[in-house]
Amino acid sequence: MLLGQRRRGMLLTVDRLNVHYGSAQVLHDISLQIKAGELVCLVGRNGAGKTTLLKTIGGFLKPTSGSISFQGNRIDGRPPEKVALQGLRYVFQDKRVFSELTVRDNLELAAFPTKEPLEQAVKRLIGIHPKMEKLLHSKARGLSGGERQILLLGRALIGEPALLLIDEPTEGLAAIIIREIAQVLESLKARISMIIVEQNLALVSRLADRIYIMKEGAIFQEISDSNLIRQPQHYQDYL
Amino acid sequence: MLKKIEGSIPLTLLLIAAGFLAYGYLTSLLKMTDFMIFCIFVLGFDLVYGHMGQLSFGHMLYLGAGAYGAGLSAKYLSPDPFLALAAGLLVAGLAGAVLGPLLVRTTGACFALLNLAFNQVGHFLILVPLAPITGGEDGLSLTFSSYGWVNFSNLTFIFYLVLAVLLAVAFLILKFESSPFGLLLKSVKENEIRVRFLGYNTYFYKWITFIFSAALSGLAGALTVLNYGYTNPSFIDPTRNVEVIFAALMGGAGQVIGAVVGGTAFMTISNYLARYILRWEMFLGVALLLIAFRFRKGIWGYLREV
Repeated sequence: MLLGQRRRGMLLTVDRLNVHYGSAQVLHDISLQIKAGELVCLVGRNGAGKTTLLKTIGGFLKPTSGSISFQGNRIDGRPPEKVALQGLRYVFQDKRVFSELTVRDNLELAAFPTKEPLEQAVKRLIGIHPKMEKLLHSKARGLSGGERQILLLGRALIGEPALLLIDEPTEGLAAIIIREIAQVLESLKARISMIIVEQNLALVSRLADRIYIMKEGAIFQEISDSNLIRQPQHYQDYL
Repeated sequence: MLKKIEGSIPLTLLLIAAGFLAYGYLTSLLKMTDFMIFCIFVLGFDLVYGHMGQLSFGHMLYLGAGAYGAGLSAKYLSPDPFLALAAGLLVAGLAGAVLGPLLVRTTGACFALLNLAFNQVGHFLILVPLAPITGGEDGLSLTFSSYGWVNFSNLTFIFYLVLAVLLAVAFLILKFESSPFGLLLKSVKENEIRVRFLGYNTYFYKWITFIFSAALSGLAGALTVLNYGYTNPSFIDPTRNVEVIFAALMGGAGQVIGAVVGGTAFMTISNYLARYILRWEMFLGVALLLIAFRFRKGIWGYLREV
């Protein structure tokens, strides 16, 4: 399916998911659904289980019970490389790129398993953020936080995945950079489904089609009314 | 200047060849052949340590597998030296292929100690249960066929053969470093889980690297047997693992010239310093302390940044 075509139908279904770290239960009976073309934000206080939920969907953690279906196929408990190749990509919170590689090499590494031509990946990155063209041959360790985030997003889009899992894309970035990232995410919104963990409620209210509020490892509330979404004061108390 | 040399494959190979030719003719071709074989071993070991980021305490197993593969082939199949070389490479590669799937799923101390454990097992097998065919503690004395100027008892011939093999190995590793596989391995070393999230089965790539590393170590073992004309349990002795680790650290891990410099420096200290100082190992200890505290990137790593 081509990027640029807004998809319809159910993309991801999480059903009664429970996850433990050792003997401690960290996610309790999580159920949620993501439709094709939707941008869903997960909000909640630190420790609410947002990142754990993303990691479980991405294949990094194995659930103790429950199921995760992506495009109709069960993916719970599958290793991350298999989940990634099914069209689900994870953008980590810590903005770590492969620092010893150049920007171009970072893209090449991601392009190889998807069989997407490198030039297409480069073109897409430049399309997202034209300033990256000058940095293509620079070592990624020299990039600023914002540039790293752009590179990570550009890398995650290689192979035209169906769903992006993005963990706190604006954390630790300056206000001006956050605006740029927001523009990038907004431009992607029309083309790809996303689940974004975000604490910046201004950004959430601007981008989200739906919001899940998480509290103590469970879904506390779902907000799908766009009028409520655009008014962060309705859910800021949960942060 | 040094970075320029390192950036060019022909210049790197030229530097290695010129260095060994000069050192060999100034000192002894016999010793330099030994030095170069050890450098091949360090290059093989460094694929796992410097490139993949895992420290093995048991690579003598693969050197020994190569040595015994070559030795047993010469003793029981044919005295053909090239068959012995191929057998050494194959046996060591096979050992890496069999043990690799388990080993590459571990990291850190577990990886290091499992390698050591397998090395201990291999050493024991050679010494005790397989003694009737390996010669046990006495080892095997071997003779190899000659074909005209291809004569493994000719010092000059074996020196140039080993130099050619060393250059070929260095060339392959330099090409590998700049290939997509090399990029992948560099990234696995930096952050394996992120590489998996890009869709790579990193265990598979680590396994392939491990097999190459074992095979190169085995090649060094087979060349040692051809050079000495015998094989014995010291070629698989687990207590000697420290030598290759030390050489890789000393030269600078993850760099071809670093491995060659480290291998040569280690062999120089252990061969020449021992003539003058009885407890020469103490200097290795001091050198290790210096590397740990002052020259973290090894001799070559330091020189290229000066």
